[in-house]
Amino acid sequence: MRSIETTLTFSLSSVKPLEELESYRQRCLHLTREAIRKGCRHRADSPVSGLKLEPFGEVGGLPYGRCPTTGSLFLMEMPVPQEWARLLAEVVRLRHSPEVFHSHLAQSRMDHVYAPKLEWVEETLRLQQIREPRVLEAVTFSSDFTQLLKESGCFSEVVTEEETRLAGGSRSNESDPVHAAVLLESLDHSEDPKGLLEAVRGRLCKGGLLFVTALVASGFDICVLGLRNLYLVPPDRANCFTLQGLSQFLAQQGFALLEVSTPGVLDLEIVRAHWRQDSTLPLSDFERRIVTSDEAARRSFQSFLQQQRMSSFARIVARRDR
Amino acid sequence: MRILIFGYGYMGKIRHQVLRRHPAVREIKVVDPGLDPSGTDLGDQLLPADQPIPWSQFDALFVCTPNNVTADIVVEGLRRCGRVFCEKPPGRNWEDFCRIADAAASVPGHTLAFGFNHRLHPSVQAAKAMIGQGGLGEILYLKGTYGKSGGRHYQQSWRNRREISGGGILLDQGIHMLDLFQLFLGSVAPVEAVLVDSFWNCGVEDNAFVLLRSERGTPAFLHSSATLWKHTFRLEIGCQNGYLIASGLLSQTGSYGREELVIGKRQFEDEALALGNPREEIIHFDRDESWEKEVQEFLAAIQERRPPVHGTLEDARRVMEVIRDVYAMVEFPSAPARSG
Repeated sequence: MRSIETTLTFSLSSVKPLEELESYRQRCLHLTREAIRKGCRHRADSPVSGLKLEPFGEVGGLPYGRCPTTGSLFLMEMPVPQEWARLLAEVVRLRHSPEVFHSHLAQSRMDHVYAPKLEWVEETLRLQQIREPRVLEAVTFSSDFTQLLKESGCFSEVVTEEETRLAGGSRSNESDPVHAAVLLESLDHSEDPKGLLEAVRGRLCKGGLLFVTALVASGFDICVLGLRNLYLVPPDRANCFTLQGLSQFLAQQGFALLEVSTPGVLDLEIVRAHWRQDSTLPLSDFERRIVTSDEAARRSFQSFLQQQRMSSFARIVARRDR
Repeated sequence: MRILIFGYGYMGKIRHQVLRRHPAVREIKVVDPGLDPSGTDLGDQLLPADQPIPWSQFDALFVCTPNNVTADIVVEGLRRCGRVFCEKPPGRNWEDFCRIADAAASVPGHTLAFGFNHRLHPSVQAAKAMIGQGGLGEILYLKGTYGKSGGRHYQQSWRNRREISGGGILLDQGIHMLDLFQLFLGSVAPVEAVLVDSFWNCGVEDNAFVLLRSERGTPAFLHSSATLWKHTFRLEIGCQNGYLIASGLLSQTGSYGREELVIGKRQFEDEALALGNPREEIIHFDRDESWEKEVQEFLAAIQERRPPVHGTLEDARRVMEVIRDVYAMVEFPSAPARSG
């Protein structure tokens, strides 16, 4: 198994500025509540352990539960599947509208968020000696990453499939197995993460690679801020696994882990931005010292988080068991 | 498969552990005349030292002995069994190696491999995949440092007695780095070398500095040392489009540090904020499967009746040629004059 850290740096404001998050967040909460009103199901059990979720708190009035063994967090009131699919599509449209920061930061997000992910996928495939693979990307309605995959020239074919259709067991006309599958934060907002993984596993050839990125609850900013973390909002983060929970979940679905990394660069900046916005945040003395330390100390601390797999941005490479 | 291990020292024990876990291995026996039967947990796996070796009962043998008997046993093993795995170094010197090579040439259908497991370390394999079309382009230079601190019993170890080992740290440990140089560059030949017995006064080199060049002219530099008080493994690979630094080794003691590979991509002023400080990715590795891979490959070669892929006779020949030439070009190492 391997883990990766990076010296890549970029600012929070260049990819998801906190001060511009509020309108997007409020719209997400509103749309989620609306979807729930049209049809709701209660999620009582942890998808990882199968044990009853422990009430953990609410985000905008929507309850989250905590897996008692792994600490993973899950939205407990979920819209019914059809409504969920509509909700996700609506949120994607919102992200592409000029109303929110995603659109005017599109190029910056491409450079700092998507390009390194493509590099990661390409280099891992190279290390695993998988050449010109057929790759499946699970998408929500559409994905900003698809074009990058297609333009890279590294893949013999890029197949995209909607996550909800995949998880629901709908098979597209695509019947050839793929050599790699990419789930960029798909598990974070999947209404049925187990179904999604089973479907992807079914599409992967034996020995094929699965690339997963996720926001993880075991990461520094989520641990410190908990549900006060404004980036933790449904439907995008209906599921927030811990790194342990996510690793366990993948193993349960028949994947062998090759890489488990948390190469996040923004944990401390996220806590710092929250603290600047609300100086009454209940931070410990230590947390406050770290947040207010100089840039070199903050960089060093973020590097430590990466090395110890304690950042909230997780990357996992897993192989479908042979 | 039934396996016979010659020598139950540090390497013999490692091979024994790995072989025990291999699904194709049904039986392991050990020969080590220097071993007190009551002092091991081998039980009936340890063959009596005073009885003839039942060669015909074994499918393959592993030679993990001190260097002075390596060639004799490998030659005998090739003749009697035909399937031999030999720890590095392949003998004390070029003459020992040639005896092994001659014996191999006289046994058709033999399987012979040498223990150069560093090729199979995860950081090295990952580095190999990055070079050339892997994105970093052609290699511009290699720089390798491999060293240990010796320790309290260094002077008593057979590894540092010329009559047994045949050489010093270059032959003992530097040989791995030379093998890696050849893995990345193909054949290399020494251009200049400095060997010194600077601290341990064992009569063999405790530091070797060797400048080499590949057939295509790519330079490489090795520092092999028994006076690196902090155990060090570090291989720097400069490439056209970036660089790689493999460091640390997932050894049993962990004394070489966490195994990692730094991948840096060349960035000029138009791509980065500061020239000469490019973005790096550091891959940390948690598991060393090099021993398993090496044994698996050797046993698979036997089962599939094909030549081994790693640690071939040719690989061994190349490193022994370099070591022969370095020893030939340098006067016997002597301690430098110390002030005071």
